[in-house]
Amino acid sequence: MESFIKYSNQSQGRDRIFRATQYACALAKYLLRNDPARKALLVKLRSLESNMSSGRKLFRLGNTVNSIDAAKRTLLLSDPVLRLCLTVANVSRALYFICDNVLWAKHIGLIQGIDKDRWSLNASRYYFVSLLMNLTRDAYVMAQLMVQKSREKQFQQKASQHLNDSPDVACVIIPQLDAFLFLFIESLRSHPAVALDTLKNACDLFIPLDKLGIYQTNAGVVGMCGLVSSLIGILSVLKPNLKIKP
Amino acid sequence: MESWVRFSAQSQAKERVFRAAQYACTLLGYTLQRGGATAELLKTIKQLEAHLSLSRKLMRLGNSAEALEAAKRAIHLSDCVLRLCITVAHLNRAMYFACDNVLWAGKTGLLPQLDQNKWSQRSFRYYLFALILNLTRDAYEIRLLMERESRSISAKGSLASPSALSPGPENGEFSLGPSTPSFPALPVLTARLQRQLRLLFSVLRSNPPLLLDLLKNLCDVFIPLDKLGLYSTGPGFVGACGLASSILSILTILYPWLKLKP
Repeated sequence: MESFIKYSNQSQGRDRIFRATQYACALAKYLLRNDPARKALLVKLRSLESNMSSGRKLFRLGNTVNSIDAAKRTLLLSDPVLRLCLTVANVSRALYFICDNVLWAKHIGLIQGIDKDRWSLNASRYYFVSLLMNLTRDAYVMAQLMVQKSREKQFQQKASQHLNDSPDVACVIIPQLDAFLFLFIESLRSHPAVALDTLKNACDLFIPLDKLGIYQTNAGVVGMCGLVSSLIGILSVLKPNLKIKP
Repeated sequence: MESWVRFSAQSQAKERVFRAAQYACTLLGYTLQRGGATAELLKTIKQLEAHLSLSRKLMRLGNSAEALEAAKRAIHLSDCVLRLCITVAHLNRAMYFACDNVLWAGKTGLLPQLDQNKWSQRSFRYYLFALILNLTRDAYEIRLLMERESRSISAKGSLASPSALSPGPENGEFSLGPSTPSFPALPVLTARLQRQLRLLFSVLRSNPPLLLDLLKNLCDVFIPLDKLGLYSTGPGFVGACGLASSILSILTILYPWLKLKP
């Protein structure tokens, strides 16, 4: 109970739970869409999903400031690649939140006469850019970790042992590819935060990819990806050591 | 900027801002209606208010657990009056949040056959009980502080003038002369009342958390009184009270020393 309260007291924690529920509803709606006996349940799921979505939009009203503040902080990072990736990602997120706030105002009826589709498309574009930047950062951090690991004596011993373990298999698989994959998996295993962040961003990427029409999947895939990324997000708030830094 | 980020990271803090916005909409709607605004504008404001109310209900979905935890902590207080008041107030708040969650489920269509009116009345009843207990706790603390203050004043008075037993308006309460009448005359009553009021003001002035809490509860109490029909004031007054109490609670979040403890 204690941990639930501490968790949900954090603004981000509650938002992640609602996001998980929203995408779970979307997934359930897709799975049940052809079932005639579940029409009433479908109506409830649709209403719950739209409720969560509009509540979260209201909740997000101040996040532009948060993103700009995060961008100011990442400008001070020492590593130039990280500095570039994270600052562009944060600025892009700030722009996404601005579009999101405008869309909320239109949905409420405070602003009339704006092109909802254009603003929605722009919001998806900025979100997409920020996700790409985050994935670039993940790839860069992974590359650094792999280089660092390959220089470790302990790992070199393990790698040679792995390659000698199954010599007849090694003949079939290209030994360099095998060694590379082994290095990759070992690096991921010793840094779970990076692995989780990469998985989260990769799942999240399907959402704007579908909305922008670059790689159209279906509502079920989008729902599933959204749910998985929200669950990973909840995990990273519950266990702060699983959150990637900076 | 730093303070906004820290502020909005607390779930409760954002909820208070939206509460202030909701009651500002109520007040604005009332004033615009009196001033004769267009139906379009009034509809927009009403829509915004309904949206804020429903979203706040969504944000409050986990608060029953929090209120129960607070009640569990309050059971360990040493003072028995405070222990009773605060624990029962938290329990009533937990019941209010439970009814509020049921109302949210009804409003979003998860429970379509729900009698929204009945549950709404129920939730306001629990809210009213919680507020009455909070006010009782405030009154008890004020009484304790006033007694302490008057004791310290009389101690200072007896140190300053050894012949303090002579009856006079400054220490009339402690004069035990044989000529004390059994039914004090009106000027004496007014003097006593004035002295009590002065004591009350000095106690409140030197205890800003208590003053803030008292004002907040007094403003809040008009909302369920109006919604339950016990003392109908009107949407304008309710909106103003709600806005004032939200601003006061935002102040206690921004400046944690202003929060009444325990």
